[in-house]
Amino acid sequence: MAYADLREFLETLDRNGQLLTYSEPVNPEPDLGAAARATANLTDRGPALLFDNINGYEPGKGRVALNVVGSWPNHALMLGLDKDTSVKDQFFEFAGRWDAFPGPVERRDDAPWQEVTITEGIDLFHLLPLFRLNRYDVGCYIDKAAVISRDPDDPDDFGKQNVGIYRIQVKDKDRLGIQPLAAHDLGLHLQRAEERGENLPIAIALGNEPAITTVAGMPLAYDQSEYEMAAAIQGAPYRITKAPLTGLDVPWGSEVVIEGEIIAGEREIEGPFGEFTGHYSGARRQPVVRVHRVTHRRNPIFEHLYLGMPWTEMDYTLALNTSVPLYRQLKAEFPEVAAVNAMYTQGLLGIISVKQRFGGFAKAVGMRAMTVPHGLAYCKVIIMVDEDVDPFNLAQVMWALSVHYHPLHDTVTIPNLSILALDPSSDPAGITHKVILDATTPVAPEERGHYSQVVGDPEGTADWENIIKGLLK
Amino acid sequence: MTDTTVNSTICPRCGAENVRVLTTSPVPGRWTMYVCDTCIYSWRSTEPRSATDPLTYPAEFKIDPAEIPSIPAIPTVPPRRR
Ligand SMILES: [Zn+2]
Repeated sequence: MAYADLREFLETLDRNGQLLTYSEPVNPEPDLGAAARATANLTDRGPALLFDNINGYEPGKGRVALNVVGSWPNHALMLGLDKDTSVKDQFFEFAGRWDAFPGPVERRDDAPWQEVTITEGIDLFHLLPLFRLNRYDVGCYIDKAAVISRDPDDPDDFGKQNVGIYRIQVKDKDRLGIQPLAAHDLGLHLQRAEERGENLPIAIALGNEPAITTVAGMPLAYDQSEYEMAAAIQGAPYRITKAPLTGLDVPWGSEVVIEGEIIAGEREIEGPFGEFTGHYSGARRQPVVRVHRVTHRRNPIFEHLYLGMPWTEMDYTLALNTSVPLYRQLKAEFPEVAAVNAMYTQGLLGIISVKQRFGGFAKAVGMRAMTVPHGLAYCKVIIMVDEDVDPFNLAQVMWALSVHYHPLHDTVTIPNLSILALDPSSDPAGITHKVILDATTPVAPEERGHYSQVVGDPEGTADWENIIKGLLK
Repeated sequence: MTDTTVNSTICPRCGAENVRVLTTSPVPGRWTMYVCDTCIYSWRSTEPRSATDPLTYPAEFKIDPAEIPSIPAIPTVPPRRR
């Protein structure tokens, strides 16, 4: 199921009762951040929010969309599935579509964002109802836009063109701060541009259909195209259009395309910003973007993402594109791996279900998770469960931990491994011990405990699940 | 309406008197945004006092302007190729 643009996706959410339009007057702060936080606090089945009467903007014109993929029903609709699809089923659907990579792209030159062009007197605060998200953020941010750049050493390579999401501080009407970490593709592009003594052209595409936003957060290989992955995930060609100033390929359906360049050699104070760890990241000196051209739809919608203490929209959008690559990498070596749930704080904690080949096997798989690419910065706590425990069902996982896990035999602590520096427990920042909690049932030659008399489901339970599900509809 | 008593001269975060108007509301008279050109903190005249007033801005988020040049650069600037 492919959505042409954000507006079409919002219409779909609306038809499914998953969009709330709020037209009473609100202030940019603290109302918008508070409303998004409140929705995440209340439920994991919550709606997207659309505000169209924001103080300082003409009613109906300055519009903000929040929490667009901020719940499991919205995530299912993003994939074109029934909104009640279970998380486990969404996981396997997502993993299956990944296999269709690379999908085709469709180049078009008639993008709706070509309606209005601004090259003089750019004021992003007038174009978009920018607002402070969390109380002690240093200012207004853009945090859900697709940032597009090319490799300055190989500018014609479509696969090396990167689409990623980076936090962007709006420092002035036409000047931004951006956070391209050295390990990110954008960081590599910037490094090469700076080695050449050149500024790095970028395009910032705001307000997109949800597939590219999801894919932009995936850990793809350096030369894999996010657009070709978005095509695979949505099961249809992905539409792209050349941005007028930079020639970068941007989504056809975007609301706003901001073009400019990262200034070579310049670093300026950025942050703090409330991060997905539930803590603020401190201030750092980071690269600066000068904006040269903005092209946009009339009355564009500013799509924004609330993040902070989990769970927030950030966790829903990253849940499966963190879990699925880990699953694929482990499965390649250990076919016994049944499913991976690495959706807690982007996989700082993960749960892996596996059929044990022999005693000690689950512990080995847990250690392997810590050494796959994502594991080098995450996977601080790994919980291993049997293959018939659904790792997305925390009631089942807690049951396994409470009755299968033996603290003496099933705790593996590995000292001084690498971790995301944003993990506030790491000490020094970026270094931590990691732990495996093995909650699988012991198998030979490890024979201990009393596990032979499991209470199974009564006969016909699966049929009754369907009967009752139908009656509840 | 713009609160004319809102602080527009001293940065709530770093204390520098290096503040200017960043922008004003598209619908005139609703709000003004200010920015500090020393620490790049910005605030809106309609925000709660905790964001706009140096006296109520929390100590743990304040910054000394003298420390800014020594904050680590991320990513570092690589040497030019020859
Ligand atoms: Zn300041």
